[in-house]
Amino acid sequence: MTNPNPFPRRLSFITSANNGSRPVRSAGFSHLLNPSPDNGGQGNGAGSHAGAPFSSLDAGAAHSGNAPHGLDEGRGSHRMSDGSLPSFSRAFDLFTSKEPLLAGPNMAYSGVGPSASVSKNGFLTPSYLRGSGYLGKLAEQHKAKLVADRENFSSKRPSGTVFSGNTGNTESRSLTLPLKVTSGTHRGVALNLIERPPASAEFEDVVNPLPTRWNSDDKDYTVEVVGAGYEVKYTGTKLADHEAGAIRADNPMPTQCGVYYFEVMILNKKREENVISIGFETRKASLARFPGWEGESWGYHGNDGKIFQGTNAGRSYGPTYGAGDTVGCLMNFRTSQVLFTKNGDELGIAFKDPIFKDTTRNFYPAVGLKRPGDHIWVNFGQVPFQFDIDGYMKKQQKLVTDKIRTTDTAMLAPPLNDTELIQQLVLQFLQHDGYVGTARAFAEEIHMEKQALNMDADVPVEGVNIKNDEDANNRQQIRRAILEGDIDQALVYTNQFYPKVLEENGQVYFRLRCRKFIEMIRREAEMNRSLQEAGVKAKSTSQARHHPGNDTQRTYNQNPGGGEDEMMTEGEEEMMDTEEDGVEDHSLRTGNPEDETMAMSAAGVSELCHDALKYGQELRDEFKNDPSPEVTKHLNEIFALMAYPNPLEVKEVAHLLERKGRVAVAEELNSAILTSLGKSSRAALENLYAQTTVLLDDLRKDGGDGAFVSIQGVIDEIPKAQIK
Amino acid sequence: MDPHRRIQSQTSSTSTATPSKHAFETKVADVKSPKSDINALILDYLIMEGYPKAAEKFQKEANLKPRQEDPTINARQEIQHAIHVGNIQKAISDLNELDPGILDSDPQLHFSLLRLQLIELIRNARGYDPTAAIDFAQEKLAPRAASNEQFLKELEKTMALLIFPPDKLQPDLAALLHSDLRRNTAAQVNEAVLHRHMDRREAAIRQLVRMRAWAESTSRSKKRNLPDRIELGLSNGDDNVHEPMILS
Repeated sequence: MTNPNPFPRRLSFITSANNGSRPVRSAGFSHLLNPSPDNGGQGNGAGSHAGAPFSSLDAGAAHSGNAPHGLDEGRGSHRMSDGSLPSFSRAFDLFTSKEPLLAGPNMAYSGVGPSASVSKNGFLTPSYLRGSGYLGKLAEQHKAKLVADRENFSSKRPSGTVFSGNTGNTESRSLTLPLKVTSGTHRGVALNLIERPPASAEFEDVVNPLPTRWNSDDKDYTVEVVGAGYEVKYTGTKLADHEAGAIRADNPMPTQCGVYYFEVMILNKKREENVISIGFETRKASLARFPGWEGESWGYHGNDGKIFQGTNAGRSYGPTYGAGDTVGCLMNFRTSQVLFTKNGDELGIAFKDPIFKDTTRNFYPAVGLKRPGDHIWVNFGQVPFQFDIDGYMKKQQKLVTDKIRTTDTAMLAPPLNDTELIQQLVLQFLQHDGYVGTARAFAEEIHMEKQALNMDADVPVEGVNIKNDEDANNRQQIRRAILEGDIDQALVYTNQFYPKVLEENGQVYFRLRCRKFIEMIRREAEMNRSLQEAGVKAKSTSQARHHPGNDTQRTYNQNPGGGEDEMMTEGEEEMMDTEEDGVEDHSLRTGNPEDETMAMSAAGVSELCHDALKYGQELRDEFKNDPSPEVTKHLNEIFALMAYPNPLEVKEVAHLLERKGRVAVAEELNSAILTSLGKSSRAALENLYAQTTVLLDDLRKDGGDGAFVSIQGVIDEIPKAQIK
Repeated sequence: MDPHRRIQSQTSSTSTATPSKHAFETKVADVKSPKSDINALILDYLIMEGYPKAAEKFQKEANLKPRQEDPTINARQEIQHAIHVGNIQKAISDLNELDPGILDSDPQLHFSLLRLQLIELIRNARGYDPTAAIDFAQEKLAPRAASNEQFLKELEKTMALLIFPPDKLQPDLAALLHSDLRRNTAAQVNEAVLHRHMDRREAAIRQLVRMRAWAESTSRSKKRNLPDRIELGLSNGDDNVHEPMILS
């Protein structure tokens, strides 16, 4: 996309040239000094880090001009405990100084800089939206689109389809997302525009993407987009009084954010009075006028500090602004208010209009320029802001969470009160999912509690009802087997206790069989690894591979999948070749007892390998006539594991072997069994979770309270546990 | 229970019997409720509220590793239990052992505990010699109440228990003798300990449940399209037919 790191060296140039420091108003600048690629930008973790970034600052990273050290996981804005950054950090002068920049205008702003808030896939995650329900949903959509793209590419299907198997349904749901991705180029820089999907009843839950760039297809001819899409320059000639050159962003401000914010920095070199307008407008507004001057637009003008809404008669509002200033525009959908900021300071409320919440209208960030030399740069959240938008957001969130904190839960399942309700939800879940031991222990502890609190000796306390649930026991045994990796045993139990389930649930059956294969590979890989650590290359493995290798190659070539398979076979061949070349023939002959045990293990590995291959072929045969492309795809995925001598080490495929996969399969089977018994596949607690998600999504639509809370926020408060 | 199934199996139906699923229910069915989240919520709840045995079992059965060992969980359960049975003296001494500074740092909590202790003394003294109770009140509570108006009010209210017979009490006095006071005080103590040790007061699941209640009532007040009643599904599959409630 763009040069990812123009900052470090130039930063040092700037800091040595500038002197004096200004108090920094907003936090998060250490992002720029300690750039780190965001991990896929999935909007997690809105916590603040007060650790590493600051120590490197103190150590004078800002002064030394070294490449930023301490690449940290850069999530959320970086703050000290009192919310400010050390004012002595000269690096911040870059953003706060009013001195005209000494380097050229393309200097620090020619792009994303340290891609702190934009993932490799171009997914933008502004700091104040992290952890929000909106970003969570957007991330899901984004992922789905990527999957769809990949599927398009690999199987050459015309339109994007996504398979999602959510609720234990055996049928896969096809969700066609009519998202177009146009990879256009603008001035030689490739951009990915994700157009908004058409609003139709079926997709009323789709959230709209964030503004990411200026839209060079939506501008006046007198202005041009420069660089990666964040800068705009005035390139026309002198205009009449009322005329201007305006440009709008690629997407409108999404109401589901609750609050939307962007900042514009004026990069003009000369400090003369200039006329620039910053604001927002619908696409109906004229691009030959300043935002605010005519209908459908709102703006804050730099030359007189006045605000305009749809008319050329402005109202006085705030200070003037010009070269070197940063002006921000904050839209609060919840209160239907707009305010501006200047150099990190909040100015008053500028506009208030219920129309802002109208979800049928779209308001695009916009700027208007007028004179040669006019040059601006926008921050749509790709780097930290000057204004403490995170703090503002937190205040809004607190207003809502305070309301929630005082909510009474009595209406959910009368007559249970708070505590009883939760105890019931937990207990039922434990029983439902077959956690028999836990359910029993919990029931006992609750019972003890009730007895302790019972003050009337005459009234006995009823025992908590745990049906001696044979069914739960059975399901638990099955789960145990799977979690231990013993799929065969699990299949035995399942057929014993619930004979019809696997017949009726082909998908689950398939996944179990695949999992067995994966477990075999895993055992082999683990043994291989321990052998390698002991310094023996299992030459016999490569030999074993070569032997039935021909068979698998043949099977691969027969596969009707096409392109993908060919690539894999080649890769596999390569692996085999190098292995053969690289292997030293240890030992089997030395007669040294140590070597012999190694050799026996090597033989053990090769035996496992044989077994795996044999089973793999069985599996292939059993499912080769299955029309579902998902089946074929999954089979190919797992068979590919055989190509690696040590798949555990290979990042791209190791995830297939993870123990987490056992949990997933166990859950699927459990759900299928429950459904076959006529029970709900979800416990009440899970229902509650899902219901809350849907309710919040709905409340979020017009930027209401629902936009400021999320289930993810609640979950994030829990310190992380791990699956063994 | 799956609402769709229930509706199908009902013969004499209540007013919620509609042949097809409400759009809301359909959406809910499509939404994931990730096991990892649910498991995390449950483990967190068991640990925070002090059910150590259950927590341990759950970690085993669900294959979870605890984040950090929580050294306070057993003590917290014991302290809560002591309060539940009315043995406040033990609770206070255990609490001081667990966290020596906590009561000093939280006068309100300290007073609540002492007040509860007084109530237990009064309860035990019923019909007999109230001297122990009165001495205790004078010694431990009066000094604190002297400088705090709210404490004074509460002390006075509590002392009134000595005068009125238990069956003739006004509701607010009767509440003092109810087990809920013990339960609530125990919960407060638990929260205070948690807050000092891990900077959180309550289990995340409580917030989730409240969020659920809030989301529903807010949606209804905005006249969103929802079914008359949204069941959680707590009742067992085979029985209870809920009378649909009209929610205001």
